[in-house]
Amino acid sequence: MALSTDERTRYHRQLNLPEFGLAGQERLKAARILIVGTGGLGCPAALYLAAAGVGTIGLVDFDRVELSNLQRQVLFTSDDVGRLKVEAARERLLALNPEVSVLAHAVALRAHNVREVLKDYDIVLDGSDRLGTRYLVGDACVLLGKPLVTAAIHRFEGQAMTCVPSQGPCYRCLFPQGPEGEVESCAEAGVLGVLPGVLGALQASEAVKLATGVGTPLSGRLLTYDALDLRFTELPVSRRVDCPVCGEHPRITAPQEMPGILEAAATRTAQRLSPRDLRDLMNTSRTDAPAFVLIDVREPWEFHARHLEQARNIPLGELEGRLAEWAGEGNPVFICRSGQRSLVACALALRAGIGSPGHLEGGLLAWGDQIDPNFTM
Amino acid sequence: MSCTVHIPSPLRSYTAGASRVQAGGRTLEEVLASLEIRFAGMRFRMIDEQDRIRPHIRLYVNGQEANALSMPVGAGDTIHVICALSGG
Repeated sequence: MALSTDERTRYHRQLNLPEFGLAGQERLKAARILIVGTGGLGCPAALYLAAAGVGTIGLVDFDRVELSNLQRQVLFTSDDVGRLKVEAARERLLALNPEVSVLAHAVALRAHNVREVLKDYDIVLDGSDRLGTRYLVGDACVLLGKPLVTAAIHRFEGQAMTCVPSQGPCYRCLFPQGPEGEVESCAEAGVLGVLPGVLGALQASEAVKLATGVGTPLSGRLLTYDALDLRFTELPVSRRVDCPVCGEHPRITAPQEMPGILEAAATRTAQRLSPRDLRDLMNTSRTDAPAFVLIDVREPWEFHARHLEQARNIPLGELEGRLAEWAGEGNPVFICRSGQRSLVACALALRAGIGSPGHLEGGLLAWGDQIDPNFTM
Repeated sequence: MSCTVHIPSPLRSYTAGASRVQAGGRTLEEVLASLEIRFAGMRFRMIDEQDRIRPHIRLYVNGQEANALSMPVGAGDTIHVICALSGG
């Protein structure tokens, strides 16, 4: 793809790199790169990819901008709070570089749509905040033969690896299966705002290298970064012959939902309430004896910022030790921000022998969308 | 014999936030047993009931991946515990 005069000026510093040059810049212009998750990792990665001149950038995120995102999600401004992330991000990236094309996918990736979303892209960056999505994207990349640059963060620590299909280990070679339930998200554990900036920039760098053929990718090597000690560590990762997706006898031949073991059990058994179901239940309980206990399993700071009047707060991490607190009051209905932690809460309750737990599908985000537009977090 | 164990962020609640701790033992199993005495409950987060390394955990001794707990450990060795992270 030929460069215009303006593009030659814009990318002058890259064109001057002997390893990169005009051929590298033209390959970048022809590249189509998808970023899964427009969060702490996706924002800096997208900024650098747009600035560098990646021809087509896809963004996947169904979420809306919240005030608590702005400490690390550097694509957004205070004025963007409440907007769809992919829409706000698209505007910001095109303002930075109108020469690139930005495609917004405001969807939740699931087994039924992941192939369709990924199929037109050359390279995938995973910056999602849920392990189930990480396995879904990792598996799909193997099945579609697409390189994946994965990264993840927790508090002050991050890790990154590049997965090149047929040449190096995949995400499942690195971690064959997630832990029971979810590991802590950034909302639960907290995260140093600048940490995903470091990891997201590394992802962008890897994607540029893959698109242009420059350098050696971070394949077969896991890079970990500890911001507290400022320590980078590189550890070898090999392909597993028994890998269920890229091994000699793969068992995963199509994308599939990969909830944690606990979530899978809860998905089958727990009562799933829509926002309208919960509203009806709450209205009923005002006239009759309460038949349920509404338990918000978000962190205390999230709860104090905004919560339903009827809810009591027991953070997910404390739930197993506090199961007796509502004994005899009724069946628990768990709520959280998006419906993920509440599903794990159902699973923990079921495991403890508490029958008929329920949870709010889509969480308080869905409540705000469908019941109370003034309920913002 | 003492080695240095690098603790991943999700397990630092057991070590009062410490990112590195010293532990003794001639094998990985003994090092983990030593850690368990000081940080109760931590071993189960890494090793399952059948003494297998959990699939979201990786253990390295001096940069070499450990596939079995019988892997020898020497004085001054460095052990890395790596845990799958999900934050983005």
